[in-house]
Amino acid sequence: MKRYIIFLFIAVLGWTLAQTFRAIPFGADRRGNLDQPDRVAAFYLKESPETLQTANSITAIVVNFRGFDTLGEVTVLFLAATGLASILYRKEEDDETEERITLISSSLVRTGAKILFPLILLLGIYVFIHGHLTPGGGFQGGAIIATGFLLMLITYKRFDTNHNLMVWLESLAGLAFVATGLYGLFTYGSFLQNTHSVGTLNDLISGGLIPLIYIFIGIKVGTELTNILDILLKIKPGKQS
Amino acid sequence: MDTLNNILTYLGLGFVLLGSIFLFLGALGIYRMPDLYNRLQAGTKASTLGAMSVVLGVGLMQPSWMIKLIVIILFIGISNPLSSHALARASYRRGIRPFFKKKIDAYEQEVEREKQQRKKNQIKVEKVKEVAD
Repeated sequence: MKRYIIFLFIAVLGWTLAQTFRAIPFGADRRGNLDQPDRVAAFYLKESPETLQTANSITAIVVNFRGFDTLGEVTVLFLAATGLASILYRKEEDDETEERITLISSSLVRTGAKILFPLILLLGIYVFIHGHLTPGGGFQGGAIIATGFLLMLITYKRFDTNHNLMVWLESLAGLAFVATGLYGLFTYGSFLQNTHSVGTLNDLISGGLIPLIYIFIGIKVGTELTNILDILLKIKPGKQS
Repeated sequence: MDTLNNILTYLGLGFVLLGSIFLFLGALGIYRMPDLYNRLQAGTKASTLGAMSVVLGVGLMQPSWMIKLIVIILFIGISNPLSSHALARASYRRGIRPFFKKKIDAYEQEVEREKQQRKKNQIKVEKVKEVAD
């Protein structure tokens, strides 16, 4: 009996999904008229290279057309990191020093991590500085930076990320984002307004505010994720306080 | 100049073909090999060489990208064997034994030696604590 109910449920679910997919015209051109935009997609595709001079139109949407939403996303990540830190906070006992729960790595891994760490950081910085030109951006670059720190954290027991500096950097980057937005609000009357010229297409310094904001977001996401990883690696299993 | 470009293009295509053959063999090895260590071996060696020669082939076809691609090749050459080394070491220490029985297992001896060393150190620490008390 139970089995038939499950089958029925799955069939109904599948039928609904199929109906939804049937409504989407696959292969049809959904962009609309590019010369005189009649849809949102056409508007974004036309405006991001022409008026914003941004090669990556997704970045143009995320940071410029919908910059306020991105501020919300950054806040969500910040709240997640804060919540995790407050849940996992543990008072240190007197006779113990905080220690990471990793095993000793072999010398090959240690040497390799030393070589790879600056390369990974470089890649992360490249990704978020070139957010308006190539795929990627602040969030992705920050995640890459955090993986570099993770490599060092699990390889070297003594590697320390300087928690205070990280928290300060994170807060300053977040504040800088808001301050940029407020500057636009007070000078041009709109939050996150482009306050300087957009430059020319495919230049490194172009796209108005996008490179600036993506640098802030990259720093913020990188430090936040590194902090989360650092906290998670410091928990000892089987010990209850 | 044109003939040189043609030669470079065909050479690059050859490297890409070679690389994709190696990548395919690596995938086949991961599918067919019996245990973790053999799979790691197939996956790492074949895919490192495959990825490297694909990237090199692209570099020969587009010589202006060559510097970036050499950095990528170096990165693959360092990171890929390193990660599989760490995986193999961790899984051996977790207690996964090879599928085929071996006559000589040099790493087992080393692990045993390390364990004994750690025990000795712990005893020393305990003795120091007793003295302190």
